[in-house]
Amino acid sequence: IQEDHKLSASELEEKYGTSTNKGLSSARAAEILARDGPNSLTPPKATPEIVKFLKQMVGGFSILLWIGAAFSWISFGIQFAQGAESPFDNLYLGVVLALVVILTGIFAYYQEAKSTNIMASFSKMIPQQALVIRDAEKKELPAEELVVGDIVEIKGGDRIPADIRLIFTQGCKVDNSSLTGESEPQSRSCDFTHENPLETKNIAFYSTTCVEGTATGIVINTGDRTVIGRIASLASGVGNEKTPIAIEIEHFVYLVAGVAISIGVLFFIISVSMRYKILDSIIFLIGIIVANVPEGLLATVTVSLSLTAKRMAKKNCLVKNLEAVETLGSTSVICSDKTGTLTQNRMTVAHLWFDNQIYSADTSEDQTTQPFDQTSSTWTALSKIVTLCNRAEFRPGQENLPIMKRIVVGDASETALLKFTEVILGDVMSIRARNKKVAEIPFNSTNKFQLSIHETDDPNDKRFLLVMKGAPERILERCSTIMINGKEEPLDSEKAEAFQTAYMELGGMGERVLGFCHLYLPENEFPDTYPFDTDSMNFPTSNLCFVGLLSMIDPPRSTVPDAVSKCRSAGIKVIMVTGDHPITAKAIAKSVGIISATSETVEDIAKRLNIPVEQVNRREATAAVVNGMELKDMSLQQLDEILCNHSEIVFARTSPQQKLIIVEGCQRQGAVVAVTGDGVNDSPALKKADIGIAMGIAGSDAAKNAADMVLLDDNFASIVTGVEEGRLIFDNLKKTIAYTLTKNIAELCPFLIYIIASIPLPIGTITILFIDLGTDIIPSVALAYEKAESDIMNRRPRNKRRDRLVNEQLAVYSYLQIGIMQSVGAFVTYFTVYAEQGFLPSTLLGVRVNWESNAINDFEDSYGQEWTKYQRMYLQWTGYTAFFVSITIQQVADLIIRKTRRNSIFQQGLFRNKVIWVGIFSQIAIASILTYGLGHVTALNFTPLRFQYWFVAVPFAILIWVYDEVRKLLIRRYPGSWWDKNMYY
Amino acid sequence: MATLNEKKTCSERMENFRRFVWNPETRLFMGRTLINWVWISLYYLAFYVVMSGLFALSIYCLMQTVNPYEPDCVTLRPDVYGDRGLRIYYNASDNKTWEGLVTTLRTFLTAYTPAAQHLNINCTSDTYFIQDTFDGPNKTKLSCKFTSDMLQNCSGITDPTFGFPEGKPCFIIKMNRIIKFLPGNGTAPRVDCTYVGDESRPLEVDYYPVNGTFNLHYFPYYGKKAQPSYSNPLVAVKFLNLTRNVEFKIVCKIIAAGITFDNVHDPYEGKVEFKLKIED
Repeated sequence: IQEDHKLSASELEEKYGTSTNKGLSSARAAEILARDGPNSLTPPKATPEIVKFLKQMVGGFSILLWIGAAFSWISFGIQFAQGAESPFDNLYLGVVLALVVILTGIFAYYQEAKSTNIMASFSKMIPQQALVIRDAEKKELPAEELVVGDIVEIKGGDRIPADIRLIFTQGCKVDNSSLTGESEPQSRSCDFTHENPLETKNIAFYSTTCVEGTATGIVINTGDRTVIGRIASLASGVGNEKTPIAIEIEHFVYLVAGVAISIGVLFFIISVSMRYKILDSIIFLIGIIVANVPEGLLATVTVSLSLTAKRMAKKNCLVKNLEAVETLGSTSVICSDKTGTLTQNRMTVAHLWFDNQIYSADTSEDQTTQPFDQTSSTWTALSKIVTLCNRAEFRPGQENLPIMKRIVVGDASETALLKFTEVILGDVMSIRARNKKVAEIPFNSTNKFQLSIHETDDPNDKRFLLVMKGAPERILERCSTIMINGKEEPLDSEKAEAFQTAYMELGGMGERVLGFCHLYLPENEFPDTYPFDTDSMNFPTSNLCFVGLLSMIDPPRSTVPDAVSKCRSAGIKVIMVTGDHPITAKAIAKSVGIISATSETVEDIAKRLNIPVEQVNRREATAAVVNGMELKDMSLQQLDEILCNHSEIVFARTSPQQKLIIVEGCQRQGAVVAVTGDGVNDSPALKKADIGIAMGIAGSDAAKNAADMVLLDDNFASIVTGVEEGRLIFDNLKKTIAYTLTKNIAELCPFLIYIIASIPLPIGTITILFIDLGTDIIPSVALAYEKAESDIMNRRPRNKRRDRLVNEQLAVYSYLQIGIMQSVGAFVTYFTVYAEQGFLPSTLLGVRVNWESNAINDFEDSYGQEWTKYQRMYLQWTGYTAFFVSITIQQVADLIIRKTRRNSIFQQGLFRNKVIWVGIFSQIAIASILTYGLGHVTALNFTPLRFQYWFVAVPFAILIWVYDEVRKLLIRRYPGSWWDKNMYY
Repeated sequence: MATLNEKKTCSERMENFRRFVWNPETRLFMGRTLINWVWISLYYLAFYVVMSGLFALSIYCLMQTVNPYEPDCVTLRPDVYGDRGLRIYYNASDNKTWEGLVTTLRTFLTAYTPAAQHLNINCTSDTYFIQDTFDGPNKTKLSCKFTSDMLQNCSGITDPTFGFPEGKPCFIIKMNRIIKFLPGNGTAPRVDCTYVGDESRPLEVDYYPVNGTFNLHYFPYYGKKAQPSYSNPLVAVKFLNLTRNVEFKIVCKIIAAGITFDNVHDPYEGKVEFKLKIED
């Protein structure tokens, strides 16, 4: 690299064996590629996998479980040293706890690895492309395949694909900020300006971006040999700061851990003061911790989030960061681009004016016919002009594509006209062939018209036809007649007036208007051998016949108005930020509903009341169209005022820097801001936004890198889908957590009552783990598939400071109401089992010490029968199994009630979410397998339970359902009441 | 993505917490007004009263459905087992080492004195004592007498030290009570003591009553309510000729149809195993 900037283009050609016109041959390129390797940086050494893995082992609830495991081992050690009877129970428990932590750790690690893979596949999905000249042809190649000596072309918005020595530039500027930190774009030229390769202007560096202009250059370094590769300090991106959902999860973990530790310590103290042995108290403590920690929940949350991410990807929202899924749901302001996002990003003929009448054309995405009246012969004349006076052409070989999808060579308005006529008339190219062009003056900014002269396709008509299109006022100047219903009529002032009205009306709709006129040249003056000369213009260009107007606009996507109104009802403010003209911006804003039909801007009010703009009360105007020029002179307070006072805002003629200012302004109002962008210059705004959304088709790489989400179809409506999904997942996570927390009480109460009332232990620690990590897992994931309750897009976005994922109501309702009901149900089952086996409830109180004594082998039950230790243990395991089964049965009811938070289950539909039923069946199947299949494996403490005991808790399950239905009914009946405030979570 | 940064200092957190406990501006105590606390407490009080009521009702219903005489459904059969003891080491010449054991036996046998057994009838038949009706007083069933003198040399009457100082100790084997359990299929269950792992080696023992059988008229048991004065039949085992200062592993099994002694998990089902060592 040291010398390359000093060499001339021809010396470089020689050095790299290439040619600026033809580029390398494919074979040669393949050779070099094999020699040098792909043009990509060796990824920086990431955090060692083992460190990542270990991090998963200590995060979240893992610490609590490790403590539990450690306590188990300690008590094992003590018991073993004392030579107690069955010390190995505690050893096993410790091993199981450790296994649980390790397994959930492995799962979390795997999930993370998978999402990293998603990121990797994401970057593959939108690979950087480079325009390369090879084998004398321009080719789009993945940037990875570039080799030294390739000739590449760069244009504004591209990332420089390798270190490049420039050999041709046109207004080229690059943003070297990632390399040098200079934030100002640097201009580039072909000249050697500095000894230092880093300073000279004729080298563009890998990974920097071209901001504007175009350039061509020779690749001089690739991959790790590029300057940035050698410095190897690729800004690895912003550190992983916490997203809203991460904060919520952390809050939840703290809450549950707090509850677990305080109850654990409290009962440790109680049991010590009740003269339990310290060792026993420690074992109780382990049980309490295990009962309190929802072991499977964090894994469930990850799975739910990634399910949503997948669902969103199907709907064209590619989420780069799992947690961004939820951030989108809390969005309260969307700052949207106009072009391409709200609109189709292609000029389309929207209106026509001929025969003194305005006709509307179909502007939808998939038009195949045009509905307006085409019988008038004026239209025939107009269509001929539109067809002939047009230089745009379809690329060959696209005959099978729908017309709207074909690629056209030509500028935007000519493309629009070409497609328009192709739709109506069919094969335009053959029409043009039949009307051979004999002369042409292309459009230029001084003439403001385009003209061509054709032979006609009528073999009897030897006249030439002169057709012209251009700025309407210029065209009208050149006309003396106007065609009405196929007849030429003199252009009097009345007709000119009608033209003006139509022109103003179309222009006022923000549309680009073109005028069309023609003239049949008299055959005697212009015989078919007449030498037309476009320089001297030896043909008439005035006194033509005016035929009509066509107006074009980049029309809104058909899905956008609906999406905007959805946003509106969802309490999301949609702000349009565009570089376009205010009139066009306003017209599009009105047609998509960003400015609603009834609302007025200050200017509208002034016009209606016929008073100067200054006298209008600004508060009356709900809408505002702010020009970039005005914005430049505004103070922050003024901007805040606008953002505050107007609900419908359009920013027009804004620069990318101003976009950033607008985003910051919205964030000052406490909004969660989503920003869409496609250009390189949008990346600061995308980064600044709470969620940056890049366009997948039109977006530049820089924008995609800065964004959190990529819209694969560039469609605004997809954002709204994303918002809906984000809100849904927030609600569903609430439901999942509520579902999971409930049974913790039913798992905890046995320990507390065991300690206080000294009954035989109702449920074992291992059995609890089988609930948390067995029966409950699939149902809690199933809640992620729950459909939205009807109001999801009709409520305000969540306030990230007030509306927590796990709020007081959720915890209290789950723990202290439903959880208690479950415990009662489970205890009734427990007492039933013991009573029917011979131990009536009264005999169970206070028996713990004798019950657990190994020396007592003639323990007498209520009927006088005597039980050995093992027989008692077996009965105790039967009790565990019964308790487990009744929790499972009641969790089915819990799962059903958690489907909704406000609506009745019957409104929501019991069977709409099929996955819930998969969950219910899995729950029952797992429980059956554990009791009947593994009932003979002693270590698991399950026994084959009598079939009847499955039904003891059913009345309580029904009670839970009924109680929750009553709760929801009262919430719906009395919104805002004491009940609503305390019972709605 | 810009993110929330809620870094708070410790003092701020404390301040927030104090504000949470008592907010003087809004007069909120722990996030609620006092009257609100009263309401919520009342609600929970009512809720828990109702839940306790439901629980009590369920238990009441349960108690109504259970049969007072025998358990409704026994999926588990509590089974037979021998007397207590895992390792019995004592020194024949040092009465402190065996006095505890003797006292235990004596206390155990107080339930078998004629006075304690006076409610029970004398049974002579050698068949099951099936009672389909309540023949006893207060809707009870009759129980057969088992008095300690049936244990003869091990009754503690003739030898209050149960042979411990002589090195010929008595052990008492008891069968656990099981309702309506008919052991032996018509033949009386019998106690058989052997060395562990070496059944063929003869062990010199005397069984009382003769042959070490549990007479069939003690079966079946009808439960505490039907037979309030029932006492388990016993078999005493007197070891006659044990070498001193050697540890013996002895197992006493109950031989009867319907009683197993090979449950790997339960060392006390149908048998008792213990180690015995008599020192000088």
